[in-house]
Amino acid sequence: MESFVVRYRNLLVLLALLVAQILGLAMQVRRVNGGQGDGQEVRLIRLWANGIVSPPEKILHNTGSGVSWIWNNYFDLRHARQENVELQKTIDRLRLEQAALLEDAKQGQRLQALLNFEQKYIYKTTLAEVIGTSGTEQSRVFTINKGKKDGIDRDMAVITPDGIVGKVRDVFGHTAQVLAINDQSSGAGVIMESTRIRGILRGNAQGRPEIVDVISDQRIKAGDKVLTAGGDQIFPRGLPVGVVEKVVNDPERDGFVDVILKSAAHLDQLDEVLVITATEPRFAPEQQQDIATSEALKGAEAQKQKTSEGMAEKLPGLMDPNLPADQQPLNDTSNPNPVSRPPVAIHPDRFTPANSAPPAATQDGGQAAPKKPETPKQANPAPQGDR
Amino acid sequence: MSVLSADARRDFEIHRYPALIYALVPVLAVVLQAWLPRVLGRFAWFDLPLVITVFFALSRRNPIQGSIMGGVLGIFEDALSGHPIGINGIAKTLVGYLAATIGILVNVENHAVRLIMTFVLSLVGSTTYFFVVRFLLGMSMDTNWMAELYKAIGNSVIALVLFPLLDRTKIRD
Repeated sequence: MESFVVRYRNLLVLLALLVAQILGLAMQVRRVNGGQGDGQEVRLIRLWANGIVSPPEKILHNTGSGVSWIWNNYFDLRHARQENVELQKTIDRLRLEQAALLEDAKQGQRLQALLNFEQKYIYKTTLAEVIGTSGTEQSRVFTINKGKKDGIDRDMAVITPDGIVGKVRDVFGHTAQVLAINDQSSGAGVIMESTRIRGILRGNAQGRPEIVDVISDQRIKAGDKVLTAGGDQIFPRGLPVGVVEKVVNDPERDGFVDVILKSAAHLDQLDEVLVITATEPRFAPEQQQDIATSEALKGAEAQKQKTSEGMAEKLPGLMDPNLPADQQPLNDTSNPNPVSRPPVAIHPDRFTPANSAPPAATQDGGQAAPKKPETPKQANPAPQGDR
Repeated sequence: MSVLSADARRDFEIHRYPALIYALVPVLAVVLQAWLPRVLGRFAWFDLPLVITVFFALSRRNPIQGSIMGGVLGIFEDALSGHPIGINGIAKTLVGYLAATIGILVNVENHAVRLIMTFVLSLVGSTTYFFVVRFLLGMSMDTNWMAELYKAIGNSVIALVLFPLLDRTKIRD
């Protein structure tokens, strides 16, 4: 027996290690399937691994940030003034648009209240920096430098100004792990903007987000915008997800397609993200203040512009932007549409003045022409109903 | 690739390294594996913990140490991912064992041998990973074999550069 153990010691140790890990996996899968999440031991292992890896990651990240800060703040400011001017113009334009959209948003809220449907608006966000990844292609998880002490919690939505990124999976003291939307185990409710087709978003093997289990529909076209549907209790409704890149047949089910997306957020190159730490059914005070400011600053201007746009649609234009100033319709003295006189009667009757019958040469072959009305000698009484 | 007799195998030198190297290099591999993909994006075709597992397993020529080293590094990687802990652990345990076992049989000082071994063991690791995910856990995960192939090539190239550098740190009698 002893010789057997000595002889096959290596193989026995290998088997023991493999069996121990398989048993550990089996217990974890049973807990996850039972909806209990990670066990205490697993959480502990994740905590230790995170505790060992995160500090060096932060050092590397901060070193890189320091170098880029020096570059960005000292060497790369050549066009800052020009950019400032352009940004100011953009802000002015956006203020106008915001004021113009305010009424629509308020009306939408009133209608939602009537339908007893509460839409969640982003109330508060926390800025976080990405400091690391899972390191494997099979797991699209990344680490951010904000954790429980910064108010981050599980299942909070993570976004960028471009679009959604993922949700918080695990939270530690000063860091948190985020499951990206292109991971194969992720899930988010989405809706296509033009066709209003709903679906579940997840990642595929190539790390591309795709909408799965969609019934084949000819209306789904490349370039269609995809937004969050708001039904998953994680992402607020209406956030950009991406655009349709292509539609492929589901290899496992006939009649179904997978819609592959180009994500709105740059999932491969994430530096900073926003974690939505609170949502509210109404606009946040900061947002309301922004809207009020915008309304006060530019509201009247926007209203004037909106009115003039509305009038321009209804009235013929006196100013043509495509013509030079001297050829504008406003300056045109020639009359292209002279007021036409009513044709004269062919046969004079009791309503026609006696000397107004034209000569035969000027008559147009007996074509019916409106008769010139003559004031009746005795006006007919108006019907009772018109009074 | 020269296959040696049992007597000749005993004559092989077993490389030893300072304790600091045993402690720092695996941790550095895990840290860089977690950090570099953030910089390189989707072009991060390598698995540094696997390369380190293969290196120490080949150098020590001890299947038990190779298995344990691989298992610990794999569990570390699993802990940083969103997947159950043990998937990478099983894959790298097997890789460590195979690398050490083959290290007894062949001359691993040859660069070509190291290159081929790292490439093959990377593919073995990927295959084991997907076997565990699909058949043991029954998870619905698609496989991108082209990415795994690129990763195996990347691992081989890194091994070609890294192994001679790490060889310089070995303790000489």
